[in-house]
Amino acid sequence: MKPALLLAVACAIATPAVSETFHWAGTTDPNTMDPHAGNSAPVLGFLNNIYEGLVRRGTDMAIEPSLATSWEPIGNGEGWRFILREGVTFHDGSDFNAEDVVFSYQRAASEASDVRSWFASVTDVVAVDDYTVDILTSNPQPIFPDSIANWMMMDSGWTMASSADLPAPGEGNFATLNANGTGPYVLAERQPGLETVLEPFEGWWGEERGNVTRGIFTPIDNSATAVAALLAGDVDMINPVPVQDADRLDGVDGVRLIRGTEARVIMFGFSQDKDTLFGTDDANPFLDVRVRQAVAHAINVPAILQTIMRGSAEPAAQLVGAEMNGFSEGLAMRPGLDLDRARALLTDAGYPDGFSFLLKCPNDRYINDESVCQATVAMLAQIGLDAQLDAIPVSNYWPELREDNYDMYLLGWSPGTFDAEHPFRFLVHTPQDNIGTWNFGGYSNARVDELIPAIQSEIDPVARQAMLDEVAATVQDDVVYVPLYIQPLLWGAADNIELTQRVDNFFILRWVTVE
Amino acid sequence: MLAYTIRRIAQSIFVLFVVGLVAFSMFRFVGDPVDNMLGQERTQEDVERLREQLGLDQPFIVQYFRFLEQAAQGNFGLSYRQGRPVAEILLERAPATLELAFVSGMMALAGGIALGIFTAIRRRGFGANVVMTLSLIGVSLPTFLIGILLIYLFSVELGWLPSFGRGEVVEVGGWTTGFLTASGLKALILPSITLGLYQMTLIMRLVRTEMLEVLRMDYIRFARARGLREKSINFRHALKNTLVPVITITGLQLGSIIAFAIITETVFQWPGVGLLFINAIQFVDIPVMAAYLMLISVMFVGINLIVDMLYFAIDPRLRADRTSGGH
Amino acid sequence: MTQTETPPTPAPVKAPSRLSRAWHSDLAWSFRRAPVAMISAFVVIVLVLSAVLAPLIAPHDPFNPATLNLMNGFTPPGEANAFTGDFFFLGTDDQGRDVFSTILYGMRISLFVGFAAVMLAMVLGVILGLLAGYLGGWTETIIMRVADVQLTFPAILVAMLIFGIAKGITPPEYRDQMAIWVLILAIGLSDWVQFARVVRGATLVEKSREYVQAAKLIGRSPLSIMLRHILPNVLNPVLVIATISLALAIIAEATLSFLGVGAPPTKPSLGTLIRIGQEFMFSGEWWILFFPAVTLLALALSINLLGDWLRDALNPKLR
Repeated sequence: MKPALLLAVACAIATPAVSETFHWAGTTDPNTMDPHAGNSAPVLGFLNNIYEGLVRRGTDMAIEPSLATSWEPIGNGEGWRFILREGVTFHDGSDFNAEDVVFSYQRAASEASDVRSWFASVTDVVAVDDYTVDILTSNPQPIFPDSIANWMMMDSGWTMASSADLPAPGEGNFATLNANGTGPYVLAERQPGLETVLEPFEGWWGEERGNVTRGIFTPIDNSATAVAALLAGDVDMINPVPVQDADRLDGVDGVRLIRGTEARVIMFGFSQDKDTLFGTDDANPFLDVRVRQAVAHAINVPAILQTIMRGSAEPAAQLVGAEMNGFSEGLAMRPGLDLDRARALLTDAGYPDGFSFLLKCPNDRYINDESVCQATVAMLAQIGLDAQLDAIPVSNYWPELREDNYDMYLLGWSPGTFDAEHPFRFLVHTPQDNIGTWNFGGYSNARVDELIPAIQSEIDPVARQAMLDEVAATVQDDVVYVPLYIQPLLWGAADNIELTQRVDNFFILRWVTVE
Repeated sequence: MLAYTIRRIAQSIFVLFVVGLVAFSMFRFVGDPVDNMLGQERTQEDVERLREQLGLDQPFIVQYFRFLEQAAQGNFGLSYRQGRPVAEILLERAPATLELAFVSGMMALAGGIALGIFTAIRRRGFGANVVMTLSLIGVSLPTFLIGILLIYLFSVELGWLPSFGRGEVVEVGGWTTGFLTASGLKALILPSITLGLYQMTLIMRLVRTEMLEVLRMDYIRFARARGLREKSINFRHALKNTLVPVITITGLQLGSIIAFAIITETVFQWPGVGLLFINAIQFVDIPVMAAYLMLISVMFVGINLIVDMLYFAIDPRLRADRTSGGH
Repeated sequence: MTQTETPPTPAPVKAPSRLSRAWHSDLAWSFRRAPVAMISAFVVIVLVLSAVLAPLIAPHDPFNPATLNLMNGFTPPGEANAFTGDFFFLGTDDQGRDVFSTILYGMRISLFVGFAAVMLAMVLGVILGLLAGYLGGWTETIIMRVADVQLTFPAILVAMLIFGIAKGITPPEYRDQMAIWVLILAIGLSDWVQFARVVRGATLVEKSREYVQAAKLIGRSPLSIMLRHILPNVLNPVLVIATISLALAIIAEATLSFLGVGAPPTKPSLGTLIRIGQEFMFSGEWWILFFPAVTLLALALSINLLGDWLRDALNPKLR
């Protein structure tokens, strides 16, 4: 009995010679299959293979037509009109039309949705006819199409029939485990945390698609195990490769390293709205811009990049990298390493002997985050600053930052819109209910607060860039943050795999070819 | 007997209550699940609404009693991370852990008894001393390091065995098994060794000690004096008397194998309940953590209870006088 | 931080001196005949001494961040750094710390945590075991049920629970310093049950002996009976357990550090060093993992071998 079964299984694996199975692994399993219930790179990146939006990003990250074939602004900034692609069907066979767009708006903009903020300026979505949709906004939104590349279309019929008409990030529903998109791949199997299988959708409207007939994703959260799995040939592709293993992978036969730059900028932030240092009655030195400047001049970013990041990362001078829309070309220099100047600045600020403070860092959020903070402690010690490092898991990190349990902290930010305005809105604007929500340090500047809404609705690119430059210059002069470097993207793949890496770390299966 | 049984069961239930209480009081220090459930563009309002919806705004005592109330009806709630019933997830993951525990338990038992007998009979022999010393190397290295070294050697350098996961599994009546495929069996080897090594050392030492004690007993001496063959003495008499405590201890160890599987499963990405638990901690998936800890407690308390009852049944004088024989 | 590495001898208890002398000479005799034990003892002494004297022996002070140069990172052992020209006998880690010095300082922490945790477990376990065994009744039930709760969770889980709670209630600015004490508490509290069970078992046996009954009859107080009559008789197994627990505690510390709940990387123990080192296992910087791992193995193995020998030597039946 047992040998017979064994044989049967062996045959089952061996026979379909034409099929191209592709195995890939990442650290994080997407926690939901509902495109409106999770606003995170693992979820949106994965679902980009199953669901589609009106527009999508190409290999160069530029916006290109997807479920909409064209779009144009309505009137003088009243909104945008989208012309939909005809003849598109969902995986279950039902047709895609304007009604689904209206439904997907209502669902994605509902209270329980995690992507609600994308629609903050949208007042209404109207189906003009079956294949024309008007999206009306309260003020001009020049980059609106850029901001909805991840807004994915769901079928109103399927969603209602399965009682998943509203996203449920907390308790989950049918759409958490099942999917019905228009995209190139069908969700064939879903075992959360174990394995998720994608198979090609025969009725897909598009043409450019690799030859993968079965894509299997396995989360492996220990990156050393993932490297071992790739080297052992158990998986065809891993993301990420730990920076320290990048060179080694490059040198091994049969596998290669795909190196790129992520959109995420890693930076240090400071407490700027408290009078005292954490846990003491001492005055908060970080209120003084000279102290923040001293920190900026004391951190040896080239050394961090060369040793800890192994030459894989690019230094950063602004809150976004140079590839992003709206990057300020004139402000590309970051403060250089200058210990004497740093000491002088501290002396001027009244701290010739330095002081002791709490440095908060996550230890499982960014690449080598803990090592970078540890190195920073050593570098700050050179100018007499005694940083007490508290490196904790990310699940505790944000609550601690919200409770102001820090004096200086590490933060990484990836602009969801690929535009320089994005970090200003979240990290620089004075903290309020739905703006400045990640400005933990509490930096506040009336001029900046005035410029940010103006940038959001400015249609003229030159005027917009001038305002972006002004905010970027203010952020640099005030040392609101000390940007360190842009996080690298390191993927490892077997030599017989062709693929394209996207800067937002999305893995697009239709760009994969197995040779 | 009845009164003792009832009292013992009542005590066990009380133990479970306390365990749950301690566990729940800890959850708040693990972190805030809401941050992991919402994206970077969420507002404070979103955070608060979700907290309220999950009941996280309540004091932990209230959360605990709510959990108990639900658990009593067989409902462990929904996982924050996967959005489906925790009981379902645990059932899905249990076969992986149980198969791993079974194989490494069997390996530990077989290897431990064989080596234990060997080292007891050849107590002063060179081979036995080498085995004893080697066995100590096994317990002198942390489990995770042994696992990593095995992966490095057998998966990466030699390429003989898979580095992670269960390989190809076959579903038989709701139970996924790796026993029926070649890749499934191969995938079991490294994790089983990693997990079983420690227990094997323990059993080996226990068998050796027990054997040595038994071999000194008068009746063995008489048997020798009567001229019985050495082999027959060793195996028919000595071993038989050794096995009772060995089996008891093995039974008690079964629970700790499953618990220690946490580390092995993490290193090998073995999709069992241990890995589920570690992932739950990272994600602050409170329902999964609570259910796992309760499950483990029920298992341990159950094993304890059964052993106690057995002792009581065999010899009332021995009641509650089972000291650990592990060392 | 002073190392209290005096072994738990029965010195504080006035054991019958004749017995004591015989016990010691026997042990010494057995020791002289066990080359493995002698080598192990030598290794333990060397390691403990080098840990205690770390500030004198170590060429660098890895705990002082101001002395570190990141550019020294990943220097291979026995080679000069390509940028700074500095030389390190066992190489450097990712932060440019001298591996040799870090091991010495790390071992100090590991040993301190180990000794202190075992002391805590032993004192707690012996006291509770004596009380449970001698008094019986409700005291026994409560103590042994608490032990059951403890056994319900494997040691590593108990330690994680205690670590989690302690970290939660410690203000962040003290966490660095607290980590070590929390580790001691976590490992110590997860390990007392073994002591308690053995002591209780032995106490139950001793309690029914004639001499204890006699002592009771002549009106000795329970405390004095426990300390003067019962305790000396349970010390041998306690000593054996303590030795093996020491190795286990050092490994438990390493495992906790691997799971990320141990000593902080700015003041690493051997376990933290191994956790850091294993990240560089595939990338070619083998020395960051190798040397701390070998040190841990040497330490734990020689303690285990000593414990092993001690167990056999103290068990007259096996001789």
